[in-house]
Amino acid sequence: MMKVIALTGNPNVGKTTIFNALTGMRQHVGNWPGVTVEKKEGILEYRGQKFLVVDLPGTYSLTAHSVDELVARDFLLKGSADVVVNVVDATALMRNLFLTMEILEMSLDNVIIALNKTDLAEKRGIEINVKRMEEVLGVPIVPLNAKEGIGIEELKERIYQMANGKLKAHPVIPTYDPEVEREIEHITAALRNTPLAEKYSLRWLAIKLLQRDDGVIKLILRHLGKEKLDEIMTHIEEVEERYKRAMDLIIASQKYEFIDGLMHRFVRYSHEQGETFSDQLDRILTHPVYGLLALFGVFYLVFKFVFTFGMPLQELLDGAFSNFGEWLAPQIASEILRGLVVDGIIAGVGSVLSFFPLVFLLFLAMSLLEDVGYMARAAVVMERIMRKFGLPGKSFIPMVLAFGCNVPAVMATRTLDDERDRLVTMLVNPLIPCSARLSVISFLAGAFFIERRALVAVSIYATAILLALLTAWVISRFIIKGEESPFIIELPEYLVPSWKTILLHSWERSKEFVKKAGTIILLGSIAIWYLSSYPVEIGTGQSYAERLGTFFEPYMKFMGLDWKAAVGLLFGIIAKENVISTYGIIYGNEEVIASVMTPLQAYVLALVTTLYVPCIATIGAIRAESNWKWAAFTVFYMIALASIVGIIVWQIGTALGL
Amino acid sequence: MLMIVPLNTLRPGEGGIVVNIVAGSYARQRLVSMGLTPGTTVQIIESHSMGPMIISVGGVKFAIGNGLAAKVMVRKL
Repeated sequence: MMKVIALTGNPNVGKTTIFNALTGMRQHVGNWPGVTVEKKEGILEYRGQKFLVVDLPGTYSLTAHSVDELVARDFLLKGSADVVVNVVDATALMRNLFLTMEILEMSLDNVIIALNKTDLAEKRGIEINVKRMEEVLGVPIVPLNAKEGIGIEELKERIYQMANGKLKAHPVIPTYDPEVEREIEHITAALRNTPLAEKYSLRWLAIKLLQRDDGVIKLILRHLGKEKLDEIMTHIEEVEERYKRAMDLIIASQKYEFIDGLMHRFVRYSHEQGETFSDQLDRILTHPVYGLLALFGVFYLVFKFVFTFGMPLQELLDGAFSNFGEWLAPQIASEILRGLVVDGIIAGVGSVLSFFPLVFLLFLAMSLLEDVGYMARAAVVMERIMRKFGLPGKSFIPMVLAFGCNVPAVMATRTLDDERDRLVTMLVNPLIPCSARLSVISFLAGAFFIERRALVAVSIYATAILLALLTAWVISRFIIKGEESPFIIELPEYLVPSWKTILLHSWERSKEFVKKAGTIILLGSIAIWYLSSYPVEIGTGQSYAERLGTFFEPYMKFMGLDWKAAVGLLFGIIAKENVISTYGIIYGNEEVIASVMTPLQAYVLALVTTLYVPCIATIGAIRAESNWKWAAFTVFYMIALASIVGIIVWQIGTALGL
Repeated sequence: MLMIVPLNTLRPGEGGIVVNIVAGSYARQRLVSMGLTPGTTVQIIESHSMGPMIISVGGVKFAIGNGLAAKVMVRKL
């Protein structure tokens, strides 16, 4: 059995950098069973011994309110780790040590503190006597500057020693006011003769019970019964009465006092700093007006970058796939097999895979903004606007990503810490027009509205965005109700990014896009190929696809479209740019589209293409991030929405004589 | 003079010591775990009539929604 090393700590402490430094390229991302929290694992090899390093989700505390916290806590509580590496940010010791104390309270003796960002702390006049700190906390401490790789070897050595029983922690544990201690003692005594005593630290359970932790309440209820639990709860209320404060506040503030008392023994703040450059920058970047302008500027640059470099690459890949198909076709003797492989698999999977460069570059830009520290500022600026529609400011990031591609956007909802916010953001995401839809919109706008094509394109984008926001409002109000998540977000220091981390991160994410999308695209492509080649080749009017199109024709008539549009939309489910190329297949030439449609019809087609069912890769991503139920909901909702909008626009348009 | 006021009434440059948080348990836990607990000093860096205010707690900067800030009671310094 490989020894397990768990990495834990607050968000923004450099955990990922340390994880990368320990494991290099030998890592993979998965999900914790049953939940959608990302699970990063990697292999550390040191002195010929292999360790499994698990990167736990970053949390501020171990009181289980979010899935992240629950995952981190359960992992530590179950004793799944042989060594717990607690990453602590030296520039924000007080807050970071809060989590440290919560961990130590579990009475773990296998904790190492990785004291990161020591260089930054020094710059800011924070003097930490590491030797003293080690003595006071009773935990081995390794000072680090992870970005430069300083201290990593030392950390490996300590991990090695602790994993092999040559190093042990004798942690200090917070003490509270006598009144609180009495409660802890009272609860501990009641639990002493239960089976819980063997599995958990009773003191930890008692403290969590005082904080009214849901999970712990349930656990204790099972072992002590309702009567005993009620008695304890009454006690707690009496104490709260005297303090005139909730118990979790009492415990937290006493914990901070305790930490403060410890810190005096090993930290000195040599000089108070005045307003820093970062403060001045924040004044602009979080400002309601200037901040918004800056935001538009930043994202304009992001898209400029992504499309300037991504589009040629996308075309290149697209070409490569079709060349490959052409080259392969004559090599396959069986006609059925050739159709399946060349027209089904290579054409279908290729058209989606060709988006890989765009996805990768988009992730690259986003990781960069995240690493520099800008994303939190963007969330602050958008908070006021997004909140009106029932979305948190943070969901702005996935929404922006969606303009490039809905798939990574759906995946990016993971950055939202509230489950409800996450779901709402994920469900409205596919309404944001992605770059594939842009190609349809610009083709139709260019072919039919030569002079006013920009206006036409903008109107379609505006409609889609408006509907996305309205949908968010409706969903958050009527479908997924719940407490509005409190808005507080840390504004991390602006930092020079680490290219290694950014590249690794973007690679991991975009690789997942391929993997996740892969299977579903494959199945979808095969299905669509089958529909279009049987019983007779498409273009004859006899294929299943065309028959399906004809079947839907009466319905399509309501929005002024015909069976060809239905076939196009059907193929568009694989990748939306297929909506146009289908006309090419049916007529033998894409350009013919301009002669068979009126401008109004083209407008409706562009609108419906934008709003109906997301592409198969997006559906797959939604399923992976939530479940089939929500994926199906999205599909039906979007079909309904696209139909309604299409019918309204067509009917009004014809009434006006357009 | 003891002046206990909601955090969102403070102006940039002012500061206060947190005395109580009168929010639901979810919001309370969030604030506490981020370091905003009774006894800590909060400095206001920036505040706008609408939208989040920027505060500093223990050397760390936060943006906090106005509604949430209204639930943090501080003793004005």
